[in-house]
Amino acid sequence: MTEHSPLERRYRRWLALYPKSFRAEREDEMVAVLMQGADPGQTRPRAREAADLVTHGLRRRARTSRLPSNWERAHANVMFPVRIIIALWLCFISAMLIGYHRGELWLLLLVPAILLHLYIAYRIRPSAIPR
Amino acid sequence: MQEASFLILTALAGGSQHGYGIVTDVAQISGGRVELKAGTLYAALDRLTADGLIEPDREEIVDSRLRRYYRITREGAERLAEEADRMRANAHAALIRLRPGVAIS
Repeated sequence: MTEHSPLERRYRRWLALYPKSFRAEREDEMVAVLMQGADPGQTRPRAREAADLVTHGLRRRARTSRLPSNWERAHANVMFPVRIIIALWLCFISAMLIGYHRGELWLLLLVPAILLHLYIAYRIRPSAIPR
Repeated sequence: MQEASFLILTALAGGSQHGYGIVTDVAQISGGRVELKAGTLYAALDRLTADGLIEPDREEIVDSRLRRYYRITREGAERLAEEADRMRANAHAALIRLRPGVAIS
């Protein structure tokens, strides 16, 4: 590869949002289109161009996410009930704190923690793991 | 069919073109209204290729830059013709109803 102009380097930086496999195939072609569309003397990508690359790059990345390995699947299967139990346990702790210690302020900490565990459990639920 | 896809097929119906050629042709066809951005263009090209409506043609290196040409397939030309017929029928219906003297109930 020859030396890239600052504009080309900046375009390539935005293109890095696309997955590697896509870039191997398309990056040079897209850079050619972007550079041909640039005004003479332009040194930065236009905002709308960058926004367009972000949108499509991330969309493409979301589409080409790889399948989880066996290890990741097994880990998710074990951690799913563990996350639920931790969330229930934290609910129990919250109830105790409120009931016996007027510990309502602890809820500021406990409620987000409970929600986080439930969210992670939801994300790794067995039916959400692609085969 | 999305407008970008329709315009890209229309551009390629006149002969194979490379990425930036499609961008300028689509701008001209649409009277400057549609300016395809690179991300949108390549998302559309990939979709059209996956659907078998266009295919990569030849490659050239111009000023040390890669130009990949695309051409419309037979299936793509058929789909474009169907779509154009459909749009003409819709436009015709709209213009008839807009004609002065037609009662609007």
